[in-house]
Amino acid sequence: MADKTNDIEDIDVLNDIDLGKVAELKNERMPPRRYQRRRQSQFVPDYIDWKDVGFLKRFIPERGKILPRRISQVSAKDQRRVATAIKRARAMALIPFVTD
Amino acid sequence: MAEKRTYEVMYIAAPETADEDVTKLNESLQQIIENGGGSIVKTDVMGRRKLAYPINKKTEGLYTLFEIEGSGQEIAELERRMRVNDAIIRYLTVRVDEERKTAAKLTAKREDRQNRRKSGSSKFNQTEPSATEEVQDNQ
Repeated sequence: MADKTNDIEDIDVLNDIDLGKVAELKNERMPPRRYQRRRQSQFVPDYIDWKDVGFLKRFIPERGKILPRRISQVSAKDQRRVATAIKRARAMALIPFVTD
Repeated sequence: MAEKRTYEVMYIAAPETADEDVTKLNESLQQIIENGGGSIVKTDVMGRRKLAYPINKKTEGLYTLFEIEGSGQEIAELERRMRVNDAIIRYLTVRVDEERKTAAKLTAKREDRQNRRKSGSSKFNQTEPSATEEVQDNQ
Protein backbone atom coordinates (compact mmCIF):
# COMPACT_ATOMS: atom_id res chain seq x y z
CA MET A 1 0.00 0.00 0.00
CA ALA A 2 2.86 2.36 0.84
CA ASP A 3 4.49 2.05 -2.57
CA LYS A 4 1.47 3.43 -4.42
CA THR A 5 2.34 7.09 -4.42
CA ASN A 6 3.16 7.83 -8.04
CA ASP A 7 0.65 5.80 -10.00
CA ILE A 8 -2.46 7.92 -9.57
CA GLU A 9 -3.46 7.46 -13.20
CA ASP A 10 -3.26 3.70 -12.82
CA ILE A 11 -5.72 3.59 -9.97
CA ASP A 12 -9.30 2.65 -10.79
CA VAL A 13 -8.93 2.81 -14.53
CA LEU A 14 -12.25 1.04 -14.74
CA ASN A 15 -14.26 3.66 -12.87
CA ASP A 16 -12.55 6.65 -14.40
CA ILE A 17 -13.00 5.56 -18.00
CA ASP A 18 -16.69 4.86 -17.62
CA LEU A 19 -17.51 8.05 -15.77
CA GLY A 20 -15.37 10.14 -18.07
CA LYS A 21 -17.06 8.85 -21.19
CA VAL A 22 -20.51 9.31 -19.78
CA ALA A 23 -19.75 12.91 -18.83
CA GLU A 24 -18.27 13.60 -22.25
CA LEU A 25 -21.26 12.23 -24.06
CA LYS A 26 -23.65 14.28 -21.97
CA ASN A 27 -21.79 17.46 -22.84
CA GLU A 28 -22.01 16.77 -26.53
CA ARG A 29 -25.74 16.15 -26.27
CA MET A 30 -25.34 12.72 -27.72
CA PRO A 31 -27.90 10.01 -27.09
CA PRO A 32 -27.11 8.12 -23.87
CA ARG A 33 -24.59 5.41 -24.32
CA ARG A 34 -25.97 1.92 -24.28
CA TYR A 35 -23.92 -0.48 -22.28
CA GLN A 36 -22.82 -3.39 -24.35
CA ARG A 37 -24.02 -6.70 -23.10
CA ARG A 38 -21.22 -8.99 -22.18
CA ARG A 39 -21.20 -12.66 -21.64
CA GLN A 40 -21.23 -13.74 -18.04
CA SER A 41 -17.54 -13.71 -17.38
CA GLN A 42 -17.69 -14.96 -13.84
CA PHE A 43 -18.87 -18.30 -12.63
CA VAL A 44 -20.72 -17.93 -9.35
CA PRO A 45 -20.95 -21.08 -7.23
CA ASP A 46 -24.15 -22.13 -5.47
CA TYR A 47 -22.65 -21.40 -2.10
CA ILE A 48 -20.61 -18.24 -1.78
CA ASP A 49 -18.21 -18.50 1.11
CA TRP A 50 -17.58 -15.10 2.64
CA LYS A 51 -14.16 -16.32 3.79
CA ASP A 52 -13.06 -17.21 0.27
CA VAL A 53 -10.99 -14.10 -0.41
CA GLY A 54 -9.58 -15.46 -3.65
CA PHE A 55 -13.02 -15.72 -5.19
CA LEU A 56 -14.32 -12.40 -3.86
CA LYS A 57 -11.23 -10.59 -5.16
CA ARG A 58 -12.53 -11.16 -8.67
CA PHE A 59 -15.35 -8.75 -7.93
CA ILE A 60 -13.11 -6.08 -6.50
CA PRO A 61 -11.14 -3.84 -8.84
CA GLU A 62 -8.11 -1.76 -7.80
CA ARG A 63 -10.04 0.82 -5.88
CA GLY A 64 -11.69 -1.71 -3.59
CA LYS A 65 -15.25 -1.05 -4.70
CA ILE A 66 -17.64 -3.84 -5.55
CA LEU A 67 -17.69 -4.49 -9.29
CA PRO A 68 -21.04 -3.24 -10.66
CA ARG A 69 -23.41 -5.69 -12.20
CA ARG A 70 -23.22 -4.11 -15.63
CA ILE A 71 -19.55 -5.03 -15.71
CA SER A 72 -19.59 -8.31 -13.85
CA GLN A 73 -22.68 -9.44 -15.78
CA VAL A 74 -23.85 -11.82 -13.13
CA SER A 75 -27.53 -12.22 -12.34
CA ALA A 76 -29.17 -9.88 -9.85
CA LYS A 77 -29.50 -12.70 -7.36
CA ASP A 78 -25.86 -13.66 -7.66
CA GLN A 79 -24.74 -10.05 -7.44
CA ARG A 80 -26.62 -9.64 -4.16
CA ARG A 81 -25.05 -12.77 -2.75
CA VAL A 82 -21.59 -11.69 -3.83
CA ALA A 83 -22.12 -8.22 -2.37
CA THR A 84 -23.22 -9.65 0.97
CA ALA A 85 -20.22 -11.93 1.10
CA ILE A 86 -17.88 -9.04 0.31
CA LYS A 87 -19.43 -6.94 3.07
CA ARG A 88 -18.96 -9.73 5.58
CA ALA A 89 -15.36 -10.20 4.54
CA ARG A 90 -14.80 -6.46 4.87
CA ALA A 91 -16.12 -6.47 8.41
CA MET A 92 -13.52 -9.07 9.34
CA ALA A 93 -10.71 -7.13 7.64
CA LEU A 94 -10.18 -9.87 5.04
CA ILE A 95 -10.86 -7.36 2.27
CA PRO A 96 -10.28 -3.58 2.43
CA PHE A 97 -13.11 -1.07 2.32
CA VAL A 98 -11.03 1.31 0.23
CA THR A 99 -7.57 1.26 -1.27
CA ASP A 100 -5.91 4.44 -2.40
CA MET B 1 -37.85 -24.51 19.36
CA ALA B 2 -35.92 -27.64 18.77
CA GLU B 3 -34.62 -26.27 15.52
CA LYS B 4 -30.92 -26.79 14.84
CA ARG B 5 -29.09 -23.84 13.41
CA THR B 6 -25.57 -23.63 12.13
CA TYR B 7 -23.41 -20.61 12.71
CA GLU B 8 -19.96 -19.56 11.73
CA VAL B 9 -18.28 -17.43 14.35
CA MET B 10 -15.00 -15.81 13.48
CA TYR B 11 -13.02 -13.59 15.77
CA ILE B 12 -9.77 -11.69 15.58
CA ALA B 13 -7.53 -11.65 18.63
CA ALA B 14 -4.94 -8.94 19.19
CA PRO B 15 -1.59 -9.83 17.59
CA GLU B 16 0.34 -9.58 20.87
CA THR B 17 -1.73 -12.33 22.46
CA ALA B 18 0.41 -15.34 23.34
CA ASP B 19 -0.31 -18.70 21.72
CA GLU B 20 -1.26 -20.37 25.01
CA ASP B 21 -3.62 -17.51 25.78
CA VAL B 22 -5.36 -18.07 22.46
CA THR B 23 -5.69 -21.77 23.26
CA LYS B 24 -7.09 -20.91 26.68
CA LEU B 25 -9.46 -18.40 25.15
CA ASN B 26 -10.72 -20.96 22.66
CA GLU B 27 -11.30 -23.46 25.45
CA SER B 28 -13.27 -20.97 27.51
CA LEU B 29 -15.37 -19.99 24.49
CA GLN B 30 -16.00 -23.66 23.79
CA GLN B 31 -17.12 -24.06 27.39
CA ILE B 32 -19.56 -21.16 27.00
CA ILE B 33 -21.04 -22.71 23.88
CA GLU B 34 -21.45 -26.12 25.46
CA ASN B 35 -22.99 -24.63 28.59
CA GLY B 36 -25.47 -22.81 26.39
CA GLY B 37 -26.53 -26.07 24.77
CA GLY B 38 -24.62 -25.73 21.53
CA SER B 39 -22.05 -28.03 20.00
CA ILE B 40 -18.91 -27.22 18.10
CA VAL B 41 -18.71 -28.80 14.69
CA LYS B 42 -15.34 -27.42 13.72
CA THR B 43 -12.62 -25.23 15.12
CA ASP B 44 -10.17 -23.65 12.75
CA VAL B 45 -7.29 -21.67 14.18
CA MET B 46 -6.31 -19.74 11.10
CA GLY B 47 -3.38 -18.05 12.78
CA ARG B 48 -1.71 -14.75 12.11
CA ARG B 49 -3.01 -12.75 9.18
CA LYS B 50 -2.45 -9.24 7.97
CA LEU B 51 -5.53 -7.07 8.39
CA ALA B 52 -6.84 -5.42 5.23
CA TYR B 53 -7.07 -2.18 7.19
CA PRO B 54 -5.90 -1.23 10.68
CA ILE B 55 -8.21 -2.01 13.60
CA ASN B 56 -7.37 -0.31 16.90
CA LYS B 57 -4.05 0.73 15.36
CA LYS B 58 -3.13 -2.92 14.80
CA THR B 59 -2.13 -4.21 11.41
CA GLU B 60 -2.17 -7.93 12.19
CA GLY B 61 -4.56 -10.27 13.89
CA LEU B 62 -4.94 -13.85 15.07
CA TYR B 63 -7.93 -15.37 13.33
CA THR B 64 -10.04 -18.19 14.70
CA LEU B 65 -13.16 -19.71 13.20
CA PHE B 66 -15.80 -21.81 14.95
CA GLU B 67 -18.63 -23.69 13.38
CA ILE B 68 -21.40 -24.07 15.90
CA GLU B 69 -24.64 -25.98 15.91
CA GLY B 70 -27.34 -24.98 18.32
CA SER B 71 -30.53 -23.10 19.03
CA GLY B 72 -29.08 -19.60 18.92
CA GLN B 73 -29.24 -19.09 22.68
CA GLU B 74 -25.55 -19.78 23.12
CA ILE B 75 -24.64 -17.24 20.44
CA ALA B 76 -26.04 -14.41 22.54
CA GLU B 77 -23.91 -15.43 25.51
CA LEU B 78 -20.86 -15.99 23.32
CA GLU B 79 -21.13 -12.57 21.73
CA ARG B 80 -21.59 -10.93 25.13
CA ARG B 81 -18.37 -12.55 26.34
CA MET B 82 -16.45 -11.65 23.21
CA ARG B 83 -17.57 -8.04 23.41
CA VAL B 84 -16.08 -7.52 26.86
CA ASN B 85 -12.88 -9.44 26.17
CA ASP B 86 -10.04 -7.02 25.51
CA ALA B 87 -7.99 -9.56 23.56
CA ILE B 88 -10.72 -9.87 20.92
CA ILE B 89 -10.65 -6.92 18.58
CA ARG B 90 -13.36 -8.03 16.14
CA TYR B 91 -15.89 -10.84 15.81
CA LEU B 92 -18.59 -11.83 13.36
CA THR B 93 -21.37 -14.40 13.52
CA VAL B 94 -22.99 -15.63 10.35
CA ARG B 95 -25.87 -18.03 10.19
CA VAL B 96 -25.06 -20.41 7.37
CA ASP B 97 -27.58 -23.28 7.49
CA GLU B 98 -30.20 -21.59 5.32
CA GLU B 99 -27.75 -20.44 2.69
CA ARG B 100 -26.24 -23.89 2.56
CA LYS B 101 -29.65 -25.45 2.20
CA THR B 102 -30.58 -23.25 -0.76
CA ALA B 103 -27.16 -23.89 -2.28
CA ALA B 104 -27.62 -27.64 -1.94
CA LYS B 105 -31.03 -27.32 -3.55
CA LEU B 106 -29.57 -25.39 -6.47
CA THR B 107 -26.84 -27.97 -6.95
CA ALA B 108 -29.34 -30.81 -6.88
CA LYS B 109 -31.53 -29.00 -9.38
CA ARG B 110 -28.66 -28.43 -11.77
CA GLU B 111 -27.53 -32.04 -11.56
CA ASP B 112 -31.05 -33.21 -12.16
CA ARG B 113 -31.32 -30.99 -15.22
CA GLN B 114 -28.03 -32.27 -16.57
CA ASN B 115 -29.12 -35.85 -16.09
CA ARG B 116 -32.34 -35.14 -17.92
CA ARG B 117 -30.46 -33.55 -20.78
CA LYS B 118 -28.18 -36.53 -21.06
CA SER B 119 -31.01 -39.03 -21.16
CA GLY B 120 -32.95 -36.68 -23.45
CA SER B 121 -30.17 -36.50 -26.04
CA SER B 122 -29.64 -40.23 -25.94
CA LYS B 123 -33.27 -40.65 -26.88
CA PHE B 124 -32.50 -39.53 -30.42
CA ASN B 125 -29.82 -42.13 -30.81
CA GLN B 126 -31.78 -45.00 -29.42
CA THR B 127 -34.19 -47.09 -31.43
CA GLU B 128 -36.54 -47.67 -28.52
CA PRO B 129 -37.78 -44.34 -27.20
CA SER B 130 -40.24 -45.87 -24.77
CA ALA B 131 -37.43 -47.33 -22.65
CA THR B 132 -35.75 -43.96 -22.13
CA GLU B 133 -38.99 -42.27 -21.28
CA GLU B 134 -39.50 -44.63 -18.43
CA VAL B 135 -36.07 -43.79 -17.07
CA GLN B 136 -36.91 -40.10 -17.19
CA ASP B 137 -40.09 -40.60 -15.24
CA ASN B 138 -38.22 -42.25 -12.43
CA GLN B 139 -35.93 -39.31 -11.91
